[in-house]
Amino acid sequence: MPEAARATSSGPGRVLIAVYGVFALSATARAGVQIATRFAEAPVPYLLSAVAGVVYILATIGLAGHGPGARRLAWCAVVFELVGVLVVGTLTVFDTGDFPDDTVWSAYGRGYGFIPLVLPFIGLWWLRHTGRR
Amino acid sequence: MIGALVVVVQVALAALAVYGVVLTVLNRPPDVWTKRAVGLVVALLVLQAAIGAVQVFSGTALPETTTFLIYLVVSVCVLPIATQFATAEPTRWGGAVVAVGAIATAVAVWRLQGLWVPGA
Repeated sequence: MPEAARATSSGPGRVLIAVYGVFALSATARAGVQIATRFAEAPVPYLLSAVAGVVYILATIGLAGHGPGARRLAWCAVVFELVGVLVVGTLTVFDTGDFPDDTVWSAYGRGYGFIPLVLPFIGLWWLRHTGRR
Repeated sequence: MIGALVVVVQVALAALAVYGVVLTVLNRPPDVWTKRAVGLVVALLVLQAAIGAVQVFSGTALPETTTFLIYLVVSVCVLPIATQFATAEPTRWGGAVVAVGAIATAVAVWRLQGLWVPGA
């Protein structure tokens, strides 16, 4: 009988969840304020901020949860996050015109100490590491 | 917001972050002293938030009042939640979780100071 995968929410995983939780809070709160107060100025970046916030929330829930469902959710959210930060980062570096206002992923997360760029790599490594038997 | 209190709060948050990292390095779980240290820092944050809120609601005009008030709430709430999460599983990593909470709170306080432009 195959041994169950190790929990993602134990040991150093708790530090990762704490960082994801902080980003879930800050990205969501930022998007909330942007959409509530000045949505018409730049709808695309503000919606993107909201998407990023939701992705961080889902990653936090997935990593903190137990079982294969939570692990699958974490995988999807972290992969989406990696694609998001790379695509949005590249677009904002080469063409600033479409992004009049910063999002959490703009310029590979420069406004957030590049943590948004590093975080998905650590997340993927942690999911792989705990998934091994 | 009072400049001197902001400095005290930031020094306290930095010390708490270092303390959390030291716990992790020394392979010790958070203990009752960790909770006391967090309690002291949170008391300072509550004092700062109360002063800031009173100033805003008694007529100090800010360019972004809503954002300021959200950061004010965040600055108080993050550390208690992080500490609860850190002590729920008593391992060496609890200290690092407290450190993450302290650093995030320090960023929130730094943003608060940037948003504090009375009369603008």
